[in-house]
Amino acid sequence: MRPAFEPAPAPGPLALNLRATWARMYVRVVGSLREPAWIMSDAVFPALSMASFVLLYRALGAPPTFETLAVLGGIMATYWINVLWGMGAQLYWEKQSGQLQLYFVAPCSRLAILTGMAVGGIFMTTTRAVFGIAVGFGLLGVRVQPFDALQLVLVFVVTMAALYALGMALASLFLLYGREAWHVCNALQEPVFFLSGLYFPIRALGALGALAAGLVPLGLGVDAMRQVLLGPAAKGLLPITTEVAILSGLAIVFFILARAALEFLERLSKREGRLTQRWQ
Amino acid sequence: MTAPTARPGSGGRPTSGRGASSSSAGTREESGPRTLAGPGTALIQRFRTAAWLGWQIEANWADPFTFVIYSVLRPLATALILAVMYSAVAGVATSAQAFLGFYVANAFHEYVTRILVGMGWVVVEEREEYETLKYIYASPVGIFTYLWGRSTVKFAQATLSMMLILAMGWMVMGLRWDWGAVRWAPLLLSFVLGLTAVVYFGFLVAGWALVLPRAAISVNEGVAAGLYLLCGVIFPIDLLPRVLQALAIALPFTWWYEALRRFMLGRGASDTLAGFSDPQLIAALALSTTVLSCLSVWGYHALERRARRQGKLDQATLF
Repeated sequence: MRPAFEPAPAPGPLALNLRATWARMYVRVVGSLREPAWIMSDAVFPALSMASFVLLYRALGAPPTFETLAVLGGIMATYWINVLWGMGAQLYWEKQSGQLQLYFVAPCSRLAILTGMAVGGIFMTTTRAVFGIAVGFGLLGVRVQPFDALQLVLVFVVTMAALYALGMALASLFLLYGREAWHVCNALQEPVFFLSGLYFPIRALGALGALAAGLVPLGLGVDAMRQVLLGPAAKGLLPITTEVAILSGLAIVFFILARAALEFLERLSKREGRLTQRWQ
Repeated sequence: MTAPTARPGSGGRPTSGRGASSSSAGTREESGPRTLAGPGTALIQRFRTAAWLGWQIEANWADPFTFVIYSVLRPLATALILAVMYSAVAGVATSAQAFLGFYVANAFHEYVTRILVGMGWVVVEEREEYETLKYIYASPVGIFTYLWGRSTVKFAQATLSMMLILAMGWMVMGLRWDWGAVRWAPLLLSFVLGLTAVVYFGFLVAGWALVLPRAAISVNEGVAAGLYLLCGVIFPIDLLPRVLQALAIALPFTWWYEALRRFMLGRGASDTLAGFSDPQLIAALALSTTVLSCLSVWGYHALERRARRQGKLDQATLF
């Protein structure tokens, strides 16, 4: 007997993974606009901390360029928060909601799913960051000189690639661990803000800043963007081209690391029976 | 985890009802009825149990040393951010000497971050993650006693963080003040009043979390960030727009930070509040704390009623 309809031909590996990426991104993009409480909390609350730091500089009588540093740092902080909780911890949420196993029975690559999460996360966070820009440059009256917008976009894209590749590597931890990895994410928030010099020139950290910049791409990305916006007043750590080159290298390294870590921790967690274990 | 065992004859609440196992119930029947605990003893026992549970939930994922390191990482990083911001502008800023007052207030803000936000987190964890909020409501512990007890470990964490931040400022950053000029009695009184405001406002935040879906996670954190901005922790409230200044003055935390600065360092940070004498400052702190506490208790009950009416009390939305 003939089937009622012909099954669609199976897509090739590239098409399959692109579809998986698109599907996971679509969920995040659409979901990001559906819950007003999330939108408000994601957009407003990070801007409050940024405003506090700007007003601290104002209270101390610091030059206005420091206020610009703090505004840019506050905006970029929202991306780091998203990398930690929207990428790093995402597989924890999936495990708790019982969806993680679906990712593992799907025929696509896990990295394709994580890439979709990353692109969707960047979109979602950018919609939230608009509020921070409005608070910083509108409400608080922080000003910048004319700058090269194309260069700023280029630096931003490279920074995002490096940051979210790091997020993919962090996500793999949750395949094996539960609360421990959660606490690692929690503990990485403010210390990374500090080591990345989000609210002050990273050069002020001296050798520690240079070391941290080589490990977490946030500091280098923020420093490069400040140099585009402020020029020499940003007191940059390295020339912009050097920082962009390092960020590109970090993006590749973290992506390879994420792939290896996912495979290793998936095997390990399957062996130990912790892949779908909730409440650990 | 090992549950704390009620000592025989310690005056605990009678447990011969639904929750008791048949063997233990039989033993009690054979040995005769137990003495009912006085309300004070029962309250202390419930509080102690909630505190013990809070410690287990917060800390049993790591050994104590790792837990302590984890607990102080975030506050120390925030203090370091402030310190480097200060050092970056120390040579060019015009009012750098005001920094000490901001740093001290930032250290005490740990109580707000830990306790107040922590109470909101208790509701989120119990409802969303462990799905045990309904059992807490069904138990005789009393929600306020439970929240209060759970927050004791957060109080300990906040105290440790506050002391470490101050010690780091003193030893590493050279932020010094005259210990001889510290006015201990009003400082202690202000501290207790502020802490009361923190705990009671925490009840309101917990109540808010009852009616919010999973977004309560972000809202909890946002409350601390909002108070950080609104109450002038790291800058004088004079820099806020007038509308926000009026709101800041209505909040006890604004008076709290000003009182802590004034009684510990000898000077406040705000020109607006400088016109208040010391007794007026404490009176304003006491009054705003009382008003906020009453509002918080009323608000919690109102929000709880709403959560019950809308069926949100045990409605998990996260997982």
